[in-house]
Amino acid sequence: MKRFFLLLTLTFFLPVQASAEESAPQVKESQVAQAPIQLHSVQADFTQEKHLKILARPIISTGTFTFQAPQSLRWEYRKPLHSILLMHGGKVKKFIERDGQLTEEKGMQLDSMQVVLAEITNWLDGRFTDNAMFTVSFPDKKTILLTPKDKGIAALISTIELKLGDQAGLLDAVTIFEGPDSSTRLTFTNRVLNQEIPASLFTAR
Amino acid sequence: MKPFLLSILFLFLAACATERHPMPELTASKDTTGAKGCEAVYPQGRWQFVHSIDFSMQDGSGGTVIGVTSLAGDELTCVLMTIEGFTLFEAAYQEGKGLAVQRAVPPFDKPAFAEGLMRDVQMIFLAPSTKNMRYGRSADNVPVCRYTGIDGRIIDILPAVNDCWQIQTYTADLIMDRSIVGRSCRKEGDLLIPEHLELRGFGQAGYTLKMTLINAENLGAVSE
Repeated sequence: MKRFFLLLTLTFFLPVQASAEESAPQVKESQVAQAPIQLHSVQADFTQEKHLKILARPIISTGTFTFQAPQSLRWEYRKPLHSILLMHGGKVKKFIERDGQLTEEKGMQLDSMQVVLAEITNWLDGRFTDNAMFTVSFPDKKTILLTPKDKGIAALISTIELKLGDQAGLLDAVTIFEGPDSSTRLTFTNRVLNQEIPASLFTAR
Repeated sequence: MKPFLLSILFLFLAACATERHPMPELTASKDTTGAKGCEAVYPQGRWQFVHSIDFSMQDGSGGTVIGVTSLAGDELTCVLMTIEGFTLFEAAYQEGKGLAVQRAVPPFDKPAFAEGLMRDVQMIFLAPSTKNMRYGRSADNVPVCRYTGIDGRIIDILPAVNDCWQIQTYTADLIMDRSIVGRSCRKEGDLLIPEHLELRGFGQAGYTLKMTLINAENLGAVSE
């Protein structure tokens, strides 16, 4: 579970290294990696659709996502369940609404998030392809496919598909395929790049 | 002296770890109008429920997941996922076919977990047979439908407590091992759907599930 969380978090940061404008069809990994964008911050609203064979219709979750370099993150679900993941100054916290109040999730293995941050830093430095976790392929100039290398993870996640937006450095959607009948699709809207964000957003619930 | 003290300590700890709730006496009644109320506890046909589930174990550990329960007659499918959408557990149960686990991510991959979870889900959503059902009232005059299984286990359905319902199950030794308390029920047709459910499992591996309804959807009749 925590490895998945790690993977999922990583996917949010991929677009900053992949430029739709500058990458040609059948781009090679090295070409994408040569076009880094100076990303200082990104904010977006997201809609998450969970698809399962047994579901009559997908479960819809909505929230906001905020990242500021080098290592600050606020990942907040508003509906159907309020939860907030905060990362700042090397500290990671997660809060979930219980009985109408946001309470800290104590049992979570938050140390794994330190690993995530190390990966994020690599990508922000343009080392998009230096990734021990995924095989990366580029079927077209707007799509990046990530296939887990680790067999244990591959048993749980078959592929992660990233859809790049028209504007360089922005991501339209991420789809995580667990298997043929199960996937999670995140679509991003109202995206804002490189705006200064107060540190309190990453520390206060 | 030392073994004696250890024995006392053991008994004390055992008593702390296990809350014992003996089964209450039932004043039998031939009036079966209460049976209608018990039918309203269980969904009929095809339904889908989505809950947020806070689980807490006796050792203080716990967490929050989203649970999907799909019903089609006596066929029941259950999925647990994280808030982020990752599927942790998926299993189906059907009378006669038994339990089939499709996906189980550690720490949800223990066989005992699957069996325990599906037993809890069955208890909440699948009505027991009416063949071995007795009707009556408890000492505090609450209507009760009491089902006795072939293994001696007993299910008490209390269809009218604080405008919602409760279910209690007892071992063959007549000690309560599960309690489900529904709160803030809303009526949908004949069905009473609780906005909140609290399930407590008693015994040494005690746990509590607090379920809050996100969505309930009637998907119609079961197709033949």
